[in-house]
Amino acid sequence: MTGERVESGSGTTRTPTVSSRRRYRRLLFGAVGVGVVANLALRALSYPVAAEAAYWVGIVAFLAVWQFSPVRLFDERDAELERRASTLTMVVAAVVLVLGASGARTLAALRVYEAPPFVSGVLYGYVGLFVVFAVAYGWLSRRR
Amino acid sequence: MNNEVRARREERGLSQAELAERVDVTRQTINSIERGRYDPSLALAFGLADFFDCRIEELFDPDGDDRT
Repeated sequence: MTGERVESGSGTTRTPTVSSRRRYRRLLFGAVGVGVVANLALRALSYPVAAEAAYWVGIVAFLAVWQFSPVRLFDERDAELERRASTLTMVVAAVVLVLGASGARTLAALRVYEAPPFVSGVLYGYVGLFVVFAVAYGWLSRRR
Repeated sequence: MNNEVRARREERGLSQAELAERVDVTRQTINSIERGRYDPSLALAFGLADFFDCRIEELFDPDGDDRT
């Protein structure tokens, strides 16, 4: 990649790497998107095996683009955005878990409202998420 | 953090995409740095200073924070 100026279709000037990065990133997320949409469509049409195959083709294509693309797909700002989004996600999960668990227990004890089983499943899922986070954090803190 | 990235880039007649290409980041990253919305890593700050052939403190002013 030389950084030589090229004209894009929209008339704005782009460098080869920038346009390549954009193309590969579209390919990366497009692969998963197409795989998932094809999976849902084929399942709706009662082709369960083909649906799973389409899904896995999408996943493998995602991994292939991610690992073998000739340009750098993500940079440090992307990593920073991911870190902030992850923190925000964990805060939302923590709020839902703290309020949801306490609220569900209280309402059930007062016999006001019995939450359906899937609510407990979601809350236990969040507990699992925090366990994974704690393990990952501990492992990383020992490595750095 | 205030910085001189936009001024120095325009001095050289480069687009954001071209500068991004030279220092191996995305155009959005250069745009965010120029607008003071993203503070680059030490490695990228050194890379930019190296590219513009100046000292890091000539390019970035840690005392000025123009983020709202």
